[in-house]
Amino acid sequence: MDNKTIINMRDIVMSFSGNRVLDGVHFTLREGEVHSLMGANGAGKSTLIKILNGIHHPVSGSIEIDGVPVRIREPKDAERHGLAFVHQELNVCRDMTVAENMYIGNWARDAMGLYDRRKTAQNAAHLLEMMGIDLDPYVTVRNLRTAEKQIIEILKTLTRNARVIILDEPTSSLNEKEKENFFDIIAKLKHQGVSIIFISHFLEDVMQLSDRVTVLKDGLNNGIFTRGSFAKEDLVTAMMGRSVENTVYRPLDLTEGGPLALELQHLSVERKFSDVDMRIQVGDIVGVCGLLGAGKTEIARAIFGMESITSGKIILFGEEISQPRPDRMLAKRVTLLTEERKLEGFVPLLSIRENTTLSILKHFRRRVTINLDAQRKRAEELAASMHIKMADIEQPVGSLSGGNQQKVVIAKCLASLPRLFLLDEPTRGVDVLAKLEIYKILRKAAEEGTTVVIFSSELEELLANCSKIIILKKGRAVGMVDSNQVTKNELMAMIG
Amino acid sequence: MQSIYRMRRRLADDAMRLAIVAAFFIFMPIASPYFLNMKNMMNILQNISLQGITAIGMTMVIITGGIDISVGGVMAFCVWVSASLMKSGMPWGFAILICLGIAAVCGSVNAFSIGVMKIPPMIATLAMMNMTRGLQTVISRGTTLTGLPDSFQFIGQGMVFGVIPLPAIIIVVLYLLASWFMKRTVMGRNIYAVGGNPEAARVAGIKNRRVLFFTYIACSMFATIAGIIFISRTNSAPATLGTNLEMRAIMAAVIGGTSVTFGGKGKIFGTFLGVVIVGLITNGLDLMGVSAYYQQFIQGVLVLTVVMLEAIRSNHAARKH
Ligand SMILES: Nc1ncnc2c1ncn2[C@@H]1O[C@H](COP(=O)(O)OP(=O)(O)OP(=O)(O)O)[C@@H](O)[C@H]1O
Ligand SMILES: [Mg+2]
Repeated sequence: MDNKTIINMRDIVMSFSGNRVLDGVHFTLREGEVHSLMGANGAGKSTLIKILNGIHHPVSGSIEIDGVPVRIREPKDAERHGLAFVHQELNVCRDMTVAENMYIGNWARDAMGLYDRRKTAQNAAHLLEMMGIDLDPYVTVRNLRTAEKQIIEILKTLTRNARVIILDEPTSSLNEKEKENFFDIIAKLKHQGVSIIFISHFLEDVMQLSDRVTVLKDGLNNGIFTRGSFAKEDLVTAMMGRSVENTVYRPLDLTEGGPLALELQHLSVERKFSDVDMRIQVGDIVGVCGLLGAGKTEIARAIFGMESITSGKIILFGEEISQPRPDRMLAKRVTLLTEERKLEGFVPLLSIRENTTLSILKHFRRRVTINLDAQRKRAEELAASMHIKMADIEQPVGSLSGGNQQKVVIAKCLASLPRLFLLDEPTRGVDVLAKLEIYKILRKAAEEGTTVVIFSSELEELLANCSKIIILKKGRAVGMVDSNQVTKNELMAMIG
Repeated sequence: MQSIYRMRRRLADDAMRLAIVAAFFIFMPIASPYFLNMKNMMNILQNISLQGITAIGMTMVIITGGIDISVGGVMAFCVWVSASLMKSGMPWGFAILICLGIAAVCGSVNAFSIGVMKIPPMIATLAMMNMTRGLQTVISRGTTLTGLPDSFQFIGQGMVFGVIPLPAIIIVVLYLLASWFMKRTVMGRNIYAVGGNPEAARVAGIKNRRVLFFTYIACSMFATIAGIIFISRTNSAPATLGTNLEMRAIMAAVIGGTSVTFGGKGKIFGTFLGVVIVGLITNGLDLMGVSAYYQQFIQGVLVLTVVMLEAIRSNHAARKH
């Protein structure tokens, strides 16, 4: 395949306040190809495409489009060249409708030149139908789930008639079925001659989609692979500098009828889920899976006191909790890792030191002031145990790479030494190595007596870590399986 | 080594403001030799004490992502009550306690509307402004109250070591305290967390409501303390007491680098510089004999210039980032 090159980025150097994150990176995109960009968390992938978008300005280096040198000063310039972006962090307007978000800035006009709400919605409905997505264009985005917001972000690029689409971790919150849908969209686009830059930590997806893969490591090119001439392991070695072994883990054998950490009895939240029963033993690692809308997130939030419960009971370590509330649950050493890290996970302007210790600030009180040395020491321990890639502990969390932000949020949860740790999509956007590190940390916590409940749409993740998996379907718990006795395909059939 | 780096970063935040203050001290003495006079310096500190002390609480409120436009009204009402009580013979210490109590109630009502009823801060405090202004008009009936107890006047007119007016000392001490409080206490840091991302703060177990109650009560109390000092200094409580106070306090915070577009960003020290800059501008214009008719306009232009320079500087820094 010798198609002409449309984008050619050369010798890109980028640094943030003296911290060099790209050190002469090359990247080319040929017409009609899917070119993936891979690398560990903090390798500089998002930075590279933000440069292409005109959000960041490189210290040096050049960009050519169609062989012509260009300067991309702001996102408008990139749009003019036919580039459309989906960034890693969701950028939807939460109080606008699905249709308005999809066509943002390009809304349909009526004869008078005014915004035409109906026509915009019709266009959106048409596109949604074409892509086989079941969403009401008039619904306000605030009420949607994360995965649906992510789909809207992807659709947004399709309304731009772009010839290059750049997707930064677009599938991180999609489940298997939605992913298939997404692959169909990509295939259609490719068929239309659209070129695609695809960033993802999912090796399978990258293998399936890409014509070429460029790997970045510590701000440098570290290999380029062409379809058919490489294996998964090659990518991992290029990204991490070593091979990574997947391991399956089973929590310690727990005797039936041991003490319960958490028991749900007929728990319901109006319009979200109803009549859910769960019994989770102390020290166990249990998974919860289900399709979009099955109620995973909602159950996790209800236990932590972030949804108002309509009926049913929550029994925590034998004590009935009548009105859960985040601060009270934290006092009982229950913690929740929420699904949307940007929205609920961290305070962007505050440092790693402050974010990791946000829940336990009181513990550092020495008379009236916070003991900064103790706080810094604890934060540094946490950051080290999570292998957070940072300039220093005072770096604002908002300026970390997506995967490292996730590690900060997990560190914050672990800092409060939970007895019960609820995790909603714990490894979203996290690289292969860090994923295993997170699993290791959860396993260690379980061995030390923490009960872990993982709500996840990644079935492998559940199969590799949990003793049992609870299956949700349309807001009801329909069964529980022993992970030793199911395969991924069987599990998929059960939730579908 | 690292601490030097941090210190530089901290100073860089205030570079523009420090440069402006420095410029005043370099050029004003040329325009007017009287400028550097100790008496003039003290005069400036005394003149900025009203909006200066109010701006401390305002900065805290803005950092939580809110705004409090009721400070002028609350201050006028509370101060009028205490002044009337003093005139009717109540010991002034007692009258001050009562008026601070009323301020705390006003602040709690603000916090209740905002934190519990989820009313937007602008609306909630607008209502409070009208209520308190209304009540103050009822008790003052448009008159000016004078003849406060002699001993009370010491707060605003007293001199320490014969040269330093007490209000100047109070304002500096309050700023030092507030700055320390915001940096080093759990409540101070929680204020930043709630403003920077309320959802994340809630998930982290911070009691957002408690933080809001604390902040709005503090804001009303700071304004009232400022008002007490003011009437003690002028020995009179005019009916128009505290008009435009909210705007002047917000302005100082904004010049000081506090963000009104999103919460979680701002520093007490920055606000102090903001207040000082406004004070220097006013004083400079006075010394140069600019007529009061032009002063407001010129002040507006200068303030806009400062804010724009700051915006250019921080946009530039963001781009380099
Ligand atoms: N605005 C910023 N200020 C300071 N440092 C930044 C900023 N943006 C990114 N960085 C740093 O640049 C490095 C590369 O970040 P980038 O977001 O490009 O990583 P990434 O490869 O996309 O990682 P991930 O897989 O976690 O998304 C990180 O170490 C990050 O901390
Ligand atoms: Mg990224």
